[in-house]
Amino acid sequence: MKAMKFLAVFMVLAMLLTACGQAAATEAPVAATEAPVAATEAPVAGGAPEACADALGCAVFEAGDVIKIGMGAPMTGGNASYGIDISQGATIAMSDAGDIEGWTFALDAQDDGGTAEGGAAVANKFAADPAIVAVAGHIFSGATAAAMPIYEKVGIPMLSPSATNPPLTASGSTVFNRIAFTDLNQGNNAADFIYNTLGVKKMAVLHDGSDYGKGLADIVAAQFVKDGGEVVIEQAITPGESDYTAVLSTVAAKTPDAIYFGGYTAEGAVLVNQMKTTGLENAKFFGCDGTYGEDFLTRTGANGEGAYASIAPASPDSDAKLTFNAAYLEKFGKEAGSLSPYTWAGYDAAAALAATVKQVAVVADGKLYIPRAALVAAVRSLSNYVGLSGTFTCQSNGECNTDKPQFVVVKDGAWTNAE
Amino acid sequence: MNDPSSLPLTPKGNNNLQTNTNTAAKKLQAFQNSKFMKLLRPILGVVVSLYIVFRLYQVLVVHQEYGADTWTRLLISGLIIGGVYSLIAIGYTLVYGILFMINFAHGEVMMFGAYAGLYSFWAFKIIPIAGDPPTNFLNAYPILAIILAFLIGMTVSATMGFFLEKIAYRPLRKAPRLVPLISAIGASIFLQNAAMLLFSPQLRDVTNPDILRRGAGWTIVINGSNVILPYTGVFTFILSILLLVGLYILVRKSKLGRAMRATALDKKTAALMGVDVDSTISRTFIISGALAGAAGVMWGIHNGLVYYFVGFIPGIKAFTAAVLGGIGNLPGAMVGGLLLGIVESMGPAALGIDFQLKDVLSFLILIFVLTFRPSGLLGEVLSEEKV
Repeated sequence: MKAMKFLAVFMVLAMLLTACGQAAATEAPVAATEAPVAATEAPVAGGAPEACADALGCAVFEAGDVIKIGMGAPMTGGNASYGIDISQGATIAMSDAGDIEGWTFALDAQDDGGTAEGGAAVANKFAADPAIVAVAGHIFSGATAAAMPIYEKVGIPMLSPSATNPPLTASGSTVFNRIAFTDLNQGNNAADFIYNTLGVKKMAVLHDGSDYGKGLADIVAAQFVKDGGEVVIEQAITPGESDYTAVLSTVAAKTPDAIYFGGYTAEGAVLVNQMKTTGLENAKFFGCDGTYGEDFLTRTGANGEGAYASIAPASPDSDAKLTFNAAYLEKFGKEAGSLSPYTWAGYDAAAALAATVKQVAVVADGKLYIPRAALVAAVRSLSNYVGLSGTFTCQSNGECNTDKPQFVVVKDGAWTNAE
Repeated sequence: MNDPSSLPLTPKGNNNLQTNTNTAAKKLQAFQNSKFMKLLRPILGVVVSLYIVFRLYQVLVVHQEYGADTWTRLLISGLIIGGVYSLIAIGYTLVYGILFMINFAHGEVMMFGAYAGLYSFWAFKIIPIAGDPPTNFLNAYPILAIILAFLIGMTVSATMGFFLEKIAYRPLRKAPRLVPLISAIGASIFLQNAAMLLFSPQLRDVTNPDILRRGAGWTIVINGSNVILPYTGVFTFILSILLLVGLYILVRKSKLGRAMRATALDKKTAALMGVDVDSTISRTFIISGALAGAAGVMWGIHNGLVYYFVGFIPGIKAFTAAVLGGIGNLPGAMVGGLLLGIVESMGPAALGIDFQLKDVLSFLILIFVLTFRPSGLLGEVLSEEKV
């Protein structure tokens, strides 16, 4: 009977724990939304500026505090090079941004794994941190979609350097903006390029089932059919695996001239390697901005020769860009842009946010006030901002970039222009 | 799985928890034997089988989507991955057979073996060997290097298995069966995170010796199309089968094997007959760890990517394979592993569904086996043998 009693006590405890856990989980975001409001209540009494009077209030900084710009990015796992590279670019932007009468900027880059769950977790953390005024991100589209509603509640504006999934700006969010090109643009142009320039008539389309990968693959498939090509097979693969020979074998049975893959380097590199053993040695591999970078080259080696990717167009080498490249090389020991195509965009997003913060910040009684509602509006109305990767003007839906992608191909172990 | 009395091996002389679950099991049995269930089960079975036959007919006969070359390729992929599953599944089955617990940290033991293989190859690669042209140890003596890498990987994993049992399971030997299970899950999470902190969270590529280049292989021409039989795959498959046969002989013929079987049958009686139960259990963990280590090194050689989470999915799949074949049953684990590998690679193609659904397919099979044959495919052979 002892065991029975033990079991009963254990189960009651377990139920209590679950109940507490659920309550805590639902309470967390609520508490998070209240945090900034609570922070502003005291200063209002002490003569805070009028801009803080609205519901979202102000972020208040005492002397010696640091203004934080957040970033949610994959810092671990197979796609870590994106997060590491973009956050490194943004770090340089923070030191270039200078200060507002002594208050300096710092980047708070958190690992969201590139997943929706991770994105929501990081967003809740940022929402609860009164020092976070804006977020340069998130980096991956799935994480961004999950994070958006959380920032919306607390009035933290976002400016993503790399979330390209088209529906992100269609949800009517007031806080989300991006300087990345959209996948509608990327996908349509890629399909035209594959059909017209490469002369491919039969193509297989694979994706990793993510918001970004599937979205992009669907756009490419639709446009390719519209151009007159034939999509022989469309398949979803399970991300995170290291053996895709089975799915590639069924693709090979349809004898496509090319494979389009919507997804990231981790799976793209495995696909390229295994294409050689599954009867697809003559098919071209066409990736996207998610499969570009040094990691792809090291992981595919000789197999990667002739693989395509589409990236944000390289802007001409302005003085500012050359200065950045030198700073990046000195600080991190690698050429800028070798890890991912987005390091310059990462710099631009963080620098643009810092510049906008400077516009709206108010100093009163030895304290710095940043009105959140005004900052959200100011980021949305960004206009003619000259960055390293282009000149950005945000439209009313938060779309700040209308560039076409540039196509690159692996030639002699390096990414080179394909056009 | 809710019905422990239908498993091939029910622990004898167990604690009160067992009687408790037995009443629950009786209720379940009564429900399962009710008229409703008696009718529902065959109807469900027939409906699903008919649908599967219809899909197979559609894909194989009506559309004839894939030729013999594609099926051969799929079979090759399936057998290779199935061999690795079998090898890991054996570890689950061995431990279950003796302790009646699922060692959920087994996948992590495999992961450490994979890291050991990765670092061995990496170290061999930087040992220079003079010659013309100058080369390195890895390519100058590839066979020796491979054997050494396997020995290192198996030793590391066997040590891990030994200490895992000593630290996480032995103190809980007399506790209710749920407790070591929780401990196993805890050990699994601990080991994953330890590996992440030790080896960094990034993906690592395994450098193979040149004779085992990934992507190279023998070419067979089927239907005018080149089907490649990769060297790494053939190597992996043959080695897993050899290890499995070796283990089977060990368990059947050796003194240690007899001690293991005696311990599995009845720990108390075995102890009375002079079997050192504790050391037998330790050795079982060492053997299952060594096999997982070999599986890990093979995983590195064939798939090429190693990271801290690499043991998780194969671990879950191998557990499925072990249950599929009948947990506690050695040939069952082997059959289950190969079957699972083949279903995963050929199933989605044969049914004409997305490859992302392959996991759904394998777990669906698990549910079916547990519903219609709860002791697993080969489970009952064992129970007859043992009783």
